[in-house]
Amino acid sequence: MGKTGYRNPVYCMAFLLLALAGCGDPSNPAGDSGNGVTTLTYWSAPNPQEYAMAQDLVAEWNRDNPHIQVKLQALPAGQSSEEVLLSAMVAGTTPDVCSNIWPGVTNDFIRAKGLYALDRFGDFEQVMTERVPEDIIESVRSADGHIYQIPWKTNPIMVQYNVTMFEDAGIYEFPRTYSAFLEAAAKITRDNDGDGRMDQWMGFRDIRPIWWQRYYDYYTSYITASGGKTFFDKGELAIDRKASDQVFSFYQSLYDNGYFPRSSLQGNAFLYDVIATEFTGPWNIAYLENNAPASLRYDFAPVPVPDDYEGDIYSYGDHKNIVIFSTTKHPEESWEFVKYLTTREADYKLLNFARQIPVRKNLLEDPEFEAFFRDNPMLARFAEQAAYTRGVDSIRDLKEILDAVARYYEKSSVYGAIPPGQATEEMIEAIRVIREWNH
Amino acid sequence: MARYPKKINPGVILGLPYLAHLMLFFVYPLVFSFILVFHRWDIVTPMEFVGMRNIGRIFADEVFLQSIINTGVFLMLHIPLQIVVALFFAVLLNEEIRARGFFRTLYFLPVVVSGVVVTILFQQLFSYDNGLLNQFLAALGLPYVPWLVSSKWAMPSIALMATWKNVGLYIILFMAGLQSIPSQLYEAARLDGTSTWQRFYHITLPMLNPTMVTVVVLSVIGGFSLFIEPYVMTGGGPMNSTPRSSPMGRSATSTCCPSTGRCRTT
Repeated sequence: MGKTGYRNPVYCMAFLLLALAGCGDPSNPAGDSGNGVTTLTYWSAPNPQEYAMAQDLVAEWNRDNPHIQVKLQALPAGQSSEEVLLSAMVAGTTPDVCSNIWPGVTNDFIRAKGLYALDRFGDFEQVMTERVPEDIIESVRSADGHIYQIPWKTNPIMVQYNVTMFEDAGIYEFPRTYSAFLEAAAKITRDNDGDGRMDQWMGFRDIRPIWWQRYYDYYTSYITASGGKTFFDKGELAIDRKASDQVFSFYQSLYDNGYFPRSSLQGNAFLYDVIATEFTGPWNIAYLENNAPASLRYDFAPVPVPDDYEGDIYSYGDHKNIVIFSTTKHPEESWEFVKYLTTREADYKLLNFARQIPVRKNLLEDPEFEAFFRDNPMLARFAEQAAYTRGVDSIRDLKEILDAVARYYEKSSVYGAIPPGQATEEMIEAIRVIREWNH
Repeated sequence: MARYPKKINPGVILGLPYLAHLMLFFVYPLVFSFILVFHRWDIVTPMEFVGMRNIGRIFADEVFLQSIINTGVFLMLHIPLQIVVALFFAVLLNEEIRARGFFRTLYFLPVVVSGVVVTILFQQLFSYDNGLLNQFLAALGLPYVPWLVSSKWAMPSIALMATWKNVGLYIILFMAGLQSIPSQLYEAARLDGTSTWQRFYHITLPMLNPTMVTVVVLSVIGGFSLFIEPYVMTGGGPMNSTPRSSPMGRSATSTCCPSTGRCRTT
């Protein structure tokens, strides 16, 4: 190249293209290193507690399995885990194993042939039935009859309540039914400073018609009121009309009477005695332990049920499952690692490190966990509820369906523009239209 | 100096990167989007031809139809409000007043503030039960206003917020327009004994016409693409009355678009 060669645009472009080409990562994310060692890639959730637990588990695995080494990576940052996994699937860069799979998205992954059917492994059934309750196994069975995911952990939704505020109102037992809850709400919601306006409420929910917000009010209460049903049964729309009416009506009473404010509240209203209850999951225990003032006395109770309800109290459980991606070159080794992630010891770490509830049979009776729950009574409440949780239907269009639910919840429950019965009928029709147009 | 073959114009070579950029980031997405209008595709599975189904679907979507009305209402509120406020402050700041530079900066500041920060600020200002505006009204003995929780009030509240956020930019544009009006016109009018209002109505306003067109065009574009602030403040509520459900917003909320084909159609 002459002295001025670098100024030649053709050379410049060629150089730029070469430089860009060099930006790619040619390394094989999962494979053999050539010395008989298999390397697997494992993506865990990125939250600090869960990542610390994963680090601990992987370090132990790598120590005990010199021929199958696991490379841990927190799920790359993105708007949501699902979005990141979808991008990875398109780019063909999915890991061998991932433990942060939301069941609502697995159907898309299965259709894209992105997941490995776990029931192809000889000991799958034994591993599953030893750990996971039968009804939950069935809930993750795909439409093609195969099982592609292991239910790993669940975060049941319960009601967190301020014990002092309830006692001040003369209530010493958390209300079980809608009527009792509304009665308690009438006593707790009040104007403390005497300016004629309420400044203390029974609870608060974000009223914006945002689909995922409905998991923590309408959807949770629907599962409770229907005795553990979800929206679909074997792929067919099967909404329990009575339960839906009851839920719309319950929340309508809360907003109509001003027991839940329609406006936004500043800061964490629960910490400072502004609201007495909050629908939440076990993740809030650690938050309260670190942030609640010493004077705050709180506890957790099951979600209220309709007055005529009898039976076990179910709730929504935000499940996260483990999968093996079909891009893996080492399914057998990946399966061994998955089995390790679901052992009793690993489940104990999930509780202890990450404060999350493993999907495991007889958790409270298991001697391995007994001492832990004795020392952590709040978490024991969630563990008890975990046996009675339902997740989301593994169907297409779930977000769009919940978007419709959010609109009718807002219309009927929050603003009382239509009666509950009409809201249920119109919501079912909207869901039917979504399904019809999208298929 | 390196020599190029005589037949190749260096200009063509220098233009190639831009052409490549244009094809890759503008032409290709546009053509591909048009193809997607007639397909159902969720990125991971193969595309499926659906004909006019996506177009039919968006017109069967009551929220989409409401979104078109919402956008019209929002623009009708937002554009006149923006023009009046911007023009008022531009005329004021064009005068020889004390601390003019400070006020110009002050009015421009909201333009550079992040949309999310503005949203949080206004959410707290407009909060029904403990918002600053309602506390102020209560102190004056006036009733609370349901700023964001009434379908009548929510849209004007968001128009107010959008005006506060963007007015600084339009003040600058109007000030530039004002400064380009020849002072002789005002002097001649003064000699003819005209009032301030007459000078404003017969000289300033007609001479600002080109700026006015620019402001209206920019306001319309801004109004159509307004999404983050109302989405965070009201999520499109109460009852689809705010511009989350503007056509742009509707397509931007992936929740409503499992089919990327339908997003493209929107």
